[in-house]
This record gives sequence, structure tokens and C-alpha cells, in this order.
Amino acid sequence: MNFPRWVVALALLVYLLPGQAAEKVLRVAVLNHSPPMSYTDEAGRLTGFNVEVMYALCEAMGVKCEPVPVTLERVVDAVAAGEFDFAAVSLLSTPERRARVLMSKPYYRSISVWFARPGIAPGEVSTGVVRGGVQARYAQAHGWKTTQFERRDEIITALLSGTVEAALLPMATAVALRQDPLIRPLGLASTLLRDPQLAGDVCLSVNPRTPELHARLNDAIDRIKRDGRFDRINSRFIPFRLQ
Amino acid sequence: MLAVLGSVFALVAVSLVLLLAVDQRLVTDVVARLHDEMVPWTLERQRLARNLEELRLGGQRVLTAPDVTARDDALFLVRVLAAHPSMGEDPRTAALAAEVESFLAQRSTTSPGAVDIKAWEAISARLRLLADDLSVEGGQRVSTELDRMTEAVEQTRYKLVLNLVLVGVFLASALFILRHYLIQPLQRIHRVLSSLDAREPLPDMSSAPMAEIHAVEEAIVRFHATLRENEDVRLKLECLATTDSLTGLPNRRHFLGQAAEEMARALRYGRPITVGIADLDHFKQVNDRFGHAVGDHVLQSFANLVAETLRQTDRVGRYGGEEFAFIFPETTPAEALRLIGRLRQRLAETPPRLPDGSALPVTVSFGLADATGRDLEGSLAQADIALYQAKGSGRDRCVLASPDSSTAVPQP
Repeated sequence: MNFPRWVVALALLVYLLPGQAAEKVLRVAVLNHSPPMSYTDEAGRLTGFNVEVMYALCEAMGVKCEPVPVTLERVVDAVAAGEFDFAAVSLLSTPERRARVLMSKPYYRSISVWFARPGIAPGEVSTGVVRGGVQARYAQAHGWKTTQFERRDEIITALLSGTVEAALLPMATAVALRQDPLIRPLGLASTLLRDPQLAGDVCLSVNPRTPELHARLNDAIDRIKRDGRFDRINSRFIPFRLQ
Repeated sequence: MLAVLGSVFALVAVSLVLLLAVDQRLVTDVVARLHDEMVPWTLERQRLARNLEELRLGGQRVLTAPDVTARDDALFLVRVLAAHPSMGEDPRTAALAAEVESFLAQRSTTSPGAVDIKAWEAISARLRLLADDLSVEGGQRVSTELDRMTEAVEQTRYKLVLNLVLVGVFLASALFILRHYLIQPLQRIHRVLSSLDAREPLPDMSSAPMAEIHAVEEAIVRFHATLRENEDVRLKLECLATTDSLTGLPNRRHFLGQAAEEMARALRYGRPITVGIADLDHFKQVNDRFGHAVGDHVLQSFANLVAETLRQTDRVGRYGGEEFAFIFPETTPAEALRLIGRLRQRLAETPPRLPDGSALPVTVSFGLADATGRDLEGSLAQADIALYQAKGSGRDRCVLASPDSSTAVPQP
């Protein structure tokens, strides 16, 4: 939905002015343990595809943003409660999530990847998933034996220790995990899952009480996908085009 | 006429404006579609082309990488790309990606030397070509939309020109109709009104087609008729006011007015002028003996005789009872005496006739006075004195007042 510029300007004014003279800084939820999308680099700096996209969106909206690390499990609850203005976390757009928060327009589409030793079909062995993700919900719903972790690197540890024998992860995270030198020796085989519950549109989530921010964010997504910023960030973190 | 023309024009103009609005809407829609759909779609196509290229490079690595790990990594990436929803949206990419994945999956287990490089190069060439096609498809679609927009703009231009021509035609028609049906009839009315004269016939007025103008023309005809009636009445009233009803001669007041004008003219140009007063002799006896009707007849006969005998420039009026006054412009007393002599002679030759046809001899006494260089009142008074002297001297004669006194010179 495109709002006239003056509506956006007025919304920005109303949004930024009340009760404070200083420019408001948007609080943005991000993950810090999920390369290549969102992680802390060797220098201790938050980076990754979603973090850089967040900065680009904030620049396009002309606002300052403060990334705040959060676990995937808390993202929807925290955004729904208004703790964050929005979350720069890739969330598949599900009806349950749309009922609680405002989902932005899709900025790419994803599928899920199941890792296990060769010859083992999905769901046959104990599977590690990240708590709060659609993969955890899917595995549970299908009666898989799962172990849920807060962070992606905990899954790696569990795979190495044999606590879990498989992992179910979203596409971009799976690509990074596949190339992890710790994981390589395990010789895990991958199976790509395109079930609608595990694949589809990926969106950002917005505080449900700020529809004007939702509109501006959608507008900003359009802009950075048009002016090349999105693709340049894409090239830095993902070996193919997200679309 | 103007209302009908205006309505037709308004209808056509509104229709054209609506058509223009439709074209404008079409342009707006195309621009919105370009902005909201075509540009994002074009960018997505280029991303898809880029992913096809990544697929091709991945395939190259699968077939040429020196170690199994690198080949497995490359094959994983190929499978992710082939499985991605964007690859499945287009049947061409879906089929080719599936073929690539299948081809590479079969060869990944074999050693690099055993791979059919020619088969891969053929697939690789198809991947490049498809990537090329996808790269330009967006541009082609944009071009198609721009062609539609250009066509719409062109149409708009034609319609605009048509509208302008229509406005021109309407204005020309309106001007022509205004001139033909309003301005020209008004100019004609102006000419008619400017030259309107009750004594002249009404100029020809062609019947105007516009009801309002026609009503004005009819009003002018009625106005002219009223003017004529008023003029007739005025003339009658003037005649009544200036003419003696019995004899048809100017009455005393009117005669005095005419006489004053002649006196003034004679005085202004130093010309001779003579005045006179006549009185029928023994008129009372005529009335007493034959009745007033015969008396009136005698007066009328004398008046007719005077009117027939005197010159056109001479003035005569009934002065009162059986008295008549004369004024002879450009005439000396001597010439006036000759005129009076001729009048008396004709009166003697053609006396008034009684009802039984017998002649009734009538004589008239005259008093003349030279009015040259004098005032009218004094001259008439002198003529009156001369008349009395004529009466006193036995009537039937003309006496010329002497110029310097109240005495008069009797004339036979």
C-alpha cells in the first residue's frame, strides 16, 4: 500500500515528536547467532544480511535504528508486545504470526533443508531445530523426535556430540552450516523440503500498533530492491540472489 | 439556434474530454504498472538470470572441482538453487534447473575425467541463453508498456487537436450566427430607427428569424403607425388652430405671425412691403336681408376669389367679421394698389351667387399702408385708418395711407 508523501511525512512527524525533543531511535530486534543472516563477526560487530538490510531500510526511511539481539523464540512475542518497533529477522509469513504482528511485504522466499547422514529420511532420527522457528513447529506437528535450541551454533555442538543426528534449518542458514568446517567431517547429506509449511514468503515483523511504520517499511523495501542496495548486501552474504 | 448549437458542442466537447480522460487514465495506469509491477518484475527477472548463471557456475564446479568436498558443496548449492520457488515459477527455468540438477547429481559420483563435457557444454549454453532471455524480458515488457503509453499519448494529442478544431468551429459558427441573426438585424433596426419619420413610409424590414428581434421589428411598425396617427392629429390640430373654419384662410393670430415674419425679412433685407385691410361693404345688410347662410357664402366666395387672385407670396387672413388683412412682400404701395385693383375688378366680374343662382353684387373697401421700414402694428393701424377713410369716402374703393401722417390718399 502506497501512502501519499504528505501522509508519510505527517506520520513521521507524529511518530517522532510526541513526548520527546530528541530524534527517536527505532528499536529493532535482530538475531546474533544465525550466519549469514545475522551474527556477530570477529570484531564483535553485529552484521549479516538481515542486519545490513535493516540499516539500509532505516537509511531509506531517514531514521536511526538500534539493533537489539534477541532469540528467535522471543521475536514475535516481543514485537507483538511493542518491545521493538520491528524485527529484522527472517520470518515465514504464517497465519499465526500475521494474527499477532504486522508482516511486511515479502523481501525474499525461502525453503527448508534437512541435514542427516546419507540414507536417513527426514523425521527418522532425533532432529535439532531452533526454538520459535517454523521448522520446530513443523517437526513437532509431524511427530518428529526433536530437540529445540535457542541458537543455531548449539545445533552444531549437538550434531558434533551426537545429541541430535539431524537438523532442520531454513535455506540461508543451511547454506552457511553446510560450509561450516566443523560440520564437514560429519558428511551429512541434505534434503531440500518445499512443503508449504516450511517454505514461502519471508517477511519482517512490525509492531502491530504502528501501521504507519509498516507502510514506510514496505516502501523502504521497495526502494532498496530498486536502487541496488538490496542486491549489493545480497552479494556480500549469500552466494546467489535472494528473491 | 444558439442553444441547440451550444448543447451539441457541449455534448461533443464533454465526450472528447471524457475520451481524453480515458487516455490519461490509461497513461496513468501504464505508469503505475511500470512503477509497481514492471520494474520490480524486471529486477526479479535479472536476479533469476543471475541465479541461472550461479547455477551454471555451480555446475561447472561440480564437474571440475578437484576434491569431493568442493563438488558436494557445489552440488548442494545447485540443488538449493534448483529447488528455490523462484526457479519453479517459470516453466523454462524449472525444467532446465531440474535437468541440470539431475545431470550433475548423476555425474557427481563419477571422476571428473569420465564426465561428458560436451553434454555439459550444451546444457551450459542453454543456461546462458535462458539467462540472456530472462535479462531482456523485463526490458521487452517495459517496451511494450511504453509503446502502449506512446500510443495513448498520440491518441490524446489527436483528440486534443480535434477538440481545439471543434472549439474553433464552434466559435466561428457562434460568431456567424451572432452576426447573421443578431448583430445585422440590430444594425438594420438602428438604421430604421435613425431615419424613422412619421411623414415618410416605413423602410422595408425583412422579418428576422429570432423571435426577440422580430418582436422589436413589430414594435417598430406599431410605433411608426402611432407616430403617423399622432402626426395626422397634430396637423389637424394645427390646422384648426391656424385656419378660419369658414373661409379656410389663416385666422387673425396665424396671419399676424406670418406677417411678422415677412416684416422681419423685409426689414432685414431692406425690401419694400405693403400691408392692407379690407372690409366687405354693407355686409350687415346682406346678413339681414338674405340671412347668415348667404352672408357666410359671400365671405367664402370673397375668400376664394382672394386666394385665386393674389400671388403665392402674398398673405391674407380673416382679420375679424367681414374684415380681411393682407400683406404684400417685395411690393411697393403702387404695385399693391394694382393688385387690389385687379381683385376688385374680378369681384365685380364674378359676384357671389345666391341660392337661386342670381348674382349678388358685393363691393369691398381697402386701406393700404406702406410698411417698408416700419413695424407691423403701426402699419396695420395706418391701413385701418386708410380703410376708414375709404369707408367714409363712399366705400368700394382703396385708400393708401400717406407715409408721414394719419391722412390717406383715396384711390378710385
